[in-house]
Amino acid sequence: MSELSFPYPIPEYGTEPYWAACNEERLVMQRCQACGKFRWHPAPLCIYCSHSGYDWAPLSGRGRVYTWTVITHAVHPAAVARVPYVVVEVELDEQRDLRMVSNLVDCEADAIQFDAPVRVAFETHASGQKLPVFRLT
Amino acid sequence: MDSVANQACIVGIGHTEYSRDSGRSEMTLACEAIGAAIADAGLTPADIDGITKYTMDNNDPIDIARNLGIPELRYAAEVNYGGGGGPVGTIALGAMAVATGQAKAVVAFRAMNERSGRGTPRFGQAGTAPGASGVASYFSPYGLFSPAQMVALSARRHMHLYGTESRHFGEIAVTCRHHANMNPNAMMHGRPMSIEDHQASRMIAAPLRLLDCCLETDGGAAVVITRADRARDLRHPRVFIAGAGIGAGHWNYRSMVKDMDSPVSESTVIAKHLFRDAGIKHSDIDVLFIYDHFTPLVMMAIEDFGFCKRGEGKDFVSNGRLRWPDGELPMNTSGGNLSEGYMHGMQNVIEAVRQLRGVARCQVKDARHAFVSAGNAVPTSAMILRNEL
Ligand SMILES: [Zn+2]
Repeated sequence: MSELSFPYPIPEYGTEPYWAACNEERLVMQRCQACGKFRWHPAPLCIYCSHSGYDWAPLSGRGRVYTWTVITHAVHPAAVARVPYVVVEVELDEQRDLRMVSNLVDCEADAIQFDAPVRVAFETHASGQKLPVFRLT
Repeated sequence: MDSVANQACIVGIGHTEYSRDSGRSEMTLACEAIGAAIADAGLTPADIDGITKYTMDNNDPIDIARNLGIPELRYAAEVNYGGGGGPVGTIALGAMAVATGQAKAVVAFRAMNERSGRGTPRFGQAGTAPGASGVASYFSPYGLFSPAQMVALSARRHMHLYGTESRHFGEIAVTCRHHANMNPNAMMHGRPMSIEDHQASRMIAAPLRLLDCCLETDGGAAVVITRADRARDLRHPRVFIAGAGIGAGHWNYRSMVKDMDSPVSESTVIAKHLFRDAGIKHSDIDVLFIYDHFTPLVMMAIEDFGFCKRGEGKDFVSNGRLRWPDGELPMNTSGGNLSEGYMHGMQNVIEAVRQLRGVARCQVKDARHAFVSAGNAVPTSAMILRNEL
């Protein structure tokens, strides 16, 4: 693996299904069996009702830009060749407050707007792990 | 006793110079700062029996006791959450210890070689581990590493929700620099900054500019806390801890990215109890010390601690309100983390004590009450200090 990569995610007990689904290019999250709400990032209990039962449920992969930053100052060796790059917080269509951090790819920074619709895509990290990223639609 | 209010006093302050390369070990800095604070109180190391530290501080209380000659350490505790959690949290722990008789006199300190990297890695830099686990596994693969980058996400949302502009963040940076220029000990002394300078500084992680970010510093800073009745006969006028609180609010997910849509934050949780416990109103505060790691977080802290409503921060920080001598509520009067030195807020605590002793360079006339916060966007702490009424 090239040393000029951002770190790869290390799956752990409870998070493997998330990363395994990504490798199949499916975005899934835990959905509470009691209250039906999704949560991100993975957690053992529902962050709304503390129920322990959940299913790994599929999402549409559609959402909107909640906020973003355009990173121009490299703080990691792999960032030197990547800047400028966009880190985005996406609010997913399935649920208000269901937000995840990702990259907004293949777009000009000036073209990004609040609430702009986005759709998930998958990029392969140098480690082989696929990562969910987003594109403006 | 149903709160720590008015049970304890800060009786000694001490610090080293703040520099880019101290030329000595972190333990040396800790012992110099703590030794100075003990001497300032008119005490000796034998009078100290408690030490509170930032979890991330490399200096172990046992080593400090051994070096300084503290014979019996009865109390050693620490506060987590990086640099932000510590400056008031360590003092709150000290106040509780002396109020409950667990210790007679407690030192709270911060000492590090964070700028030179001789002991502590520079915070703005990412580690180089090939893989990321825990919550970092959801951020690092996307190149989101540093506090500045995470704060940029919240700052842009604040701008969207409330019409805040970069120049409003600049008002905070310029205020701190203005005060640093009256403090020969400040790292940025002699380097004036205008709003235009702020607006011309390069983007780090848009909308965050270089001059929105705190310094990196080598140095040490410490205070001594003891019970109010014991404080009466010491060298300086008493500075009471009128109230102190530690709190965590709501996070959408675990990070320094704030949930900007939640009405509950670490600061609102603390404010709800702190002012009531202290019996002090916001309008009683004469001088403000807000932990200034990043200018947007200073604005959010001012809002969520209740000095104005959310969205009013942009107006609150403008028109020189925070600037000594003419502003109605001077803030960070020695220059803060942004321009005096990044001693993780402990330099702000020291300056608050100076203000209430009446010996600050930018002395607020008749200052009676100071509000001091630790860093937000992590579980944080805040206190109200007062002098003899
Ligand atoms: Zn639930």
